[in-house]
Amino acid sequence: MMVTIRDLHFAYRRRTVFSGLNLDLAPGHIYGLLGRNGTGKSTLLRNLGGFLFPRQGTIDVLGYLPRKRQPDFLQRVFLLPEELFLPPLPVRRWVRVQAVFYPRFSQEQFDKAAAGFSLPLEGRLDEMSYGQQKKILICFALATNADLLLMDEPTNGLDIVSKSQFRKVMAGAVDANNCIVISTHQVKDLENLIDRVTIIDEGRILFDQTVDAISRTLLFRLSHDPQETAAAIYSESSFRGNSLILPNHTGEESAQDLEMLYKAVMLKGAQLNLLFKP
Amino acid sequence: MKDRSAVNQTFSMDRWAKLMTLHWSVNRKRYLLAIPAMLGLLLVWEGFIVIENTFQPLDEGFQSLTYYVGLYTVGCLYASTIFGEFDIKAQGIVWLAIPASSLEKMLCGLVYSAITFFVVYTLAFYLVDIPMIRVVNGLIKNGHRTWAEGQPIDPVPVFHVFNGMPNDYLRHLSSLYLLFYFALQSAFALGSVYFKRYAFIKTGVAVAIALICFMTLQQRLIEQTLPQGWHRQFFYDWIIDGGTLHVRAVRLSPLLGAILGPMLLYGIPVIFWTATYFRIKEKEV
Repeated sequence: MMVTIRDLHFAYRRRTVFSGLNLDLAPGHIYGLLGRNGTGKSTLLRNLGGFLFPRQGTIDVLGYLPRKRQPDFLQRVFLLPEELFLPPLPVRRWVRVQAVFYPRFSQEQFDKAAAGFSLPLEGRLDEMSYGQQKKILICFALATNADLLLMDEPTNGLDIVSKSQFRKVMAGAVDANNCIVISTHQVKDLENLIDRVTIIDEGRILFDQTVDAISRTLLFRLSHDPQETAAAIYSESSFRGNSLILPNHTGEESAQDLEMLYKAVMLKGAQLNLLFKP
Repeated sequence: MKDRSAVNQTFSMDRWAKLMTLHWSVNRKRYLLAIPAMLGLLLVWEGFIVIENTFQPLDEGFQSLTYYVGLYTVGCLYASTIFGEFDIKAQGIVWLAIPASSLEKMLCGLVYSAITFFVVYTLAFYLVDIPMIRVVNGLIKNGHRTWAEGQPIDPVPVFHVFNGMPNDYLRHLSSLYLLFYFALQSAFALGSVYFKRYAFIKTGVAVAIALICFMTLQQRLIEQTLPQGWHRQFFYDWIIDGGTLHVRAVRLSPLLGAILGPMLLYGIPVIFWTATYFRIKEKEV
């Protein structure tokens, strides 16, 4: 395992966020950490990055104790925070002075990703829009070739074209040795990108399954059949008919709707989780 | 669990040099603007005194006052921003995420705020002061200036930071002022990690409270335990019947003074910078 969290307890003064959270993250995956605002997604990422410390329990990331923030650890784990801060420097100079800290940084990868986002590299960071700054940081994060890439709401502030480019860039960024965790409340942005869905609420893991397992177990279907609608675990009516989540008894493949899955977990989590029990 | 507590994870000269370069790159503009601002302020202030004082402007005492007021004010103000990244959560995360150890980050702040600032400020002071003293001495000589009683006014020497104060009996105070500056400045650097906003004001208040507590404690604890009529004088002396012909004093042994003195003088910055290191290490954002 790349990340092992055991019995994690965390609280901000009086507000408890996690009480006994357990989670394992393996290399070779892009994890989608989904949940509403304020449910602990960012807190979890900051605990993994060593910016917040567990009050109880253990976090093991690549064999390191994150709270020690050892240079080796910081070279191998990169957190892209939701709120950005970039110094008032020309882009190229900032990349130059920052990249020297990451032994596996690839300028070629950075330039390629920046070109994909059509980013102007001649300007200054402080003169760029929020979205452009975010894209610069995404490119930099990828170019560090960190083993664990933690991204907190990376699609916030990105336009539609950039979101699609983001999915494209990220899909090519994962290999057998690294792991990417993307936290978002904009579930749609991660469709066709993540291969494991982890839904978190009130500091608890409500749902944690691979996309393959979801595909094998659940069927997403648009239906007009009242009988089928009645048998659905979750349904939503729209002008096109009823969007349903059904148990997949036939092994039929269907296009997953992450947003609907998310809502189903929030409303009928226990029933849904039962289907995944062997 | 990998505990890479080898020296390389605590300090690497190569990594520290990169951190120093990064700090310079990010703050270069601010620093390069601060130097002419300091020079300008010193020039305007000393120029104003030269115009206003028609006898002996910028004597050594005045130069030292100018030097120390500037050093204390600007030095502490700068130190209170040296770890100002923690003012903003996003900036704090970026700073803590830089792959360098807490010791390297602390040493980077120390070198810029304590050493580099002191050197740059002192150079800036002399860059203004030496030409101004030449001007002053030219005015005294060419204007045949005299005191009100008709005595000629002596040329003004340039104040020497490391040679002590102008009056002989105050000479030892110069090094005390400098050492106290480094102690105070290190307290402000610690304040920049401790306090999220308004670090300068909050540290100033904290230092004032600490000094008041220290003095009250001395007054309450030590003075009240002394025999009737005895008083404490400075740190090492206790006297009775002070100001009379029957004055008697008890002094700590020279050996104890020799140990306690340097500990007080040199130890405070070491204590505060060590506290800063641990605070950076344990900082959460």
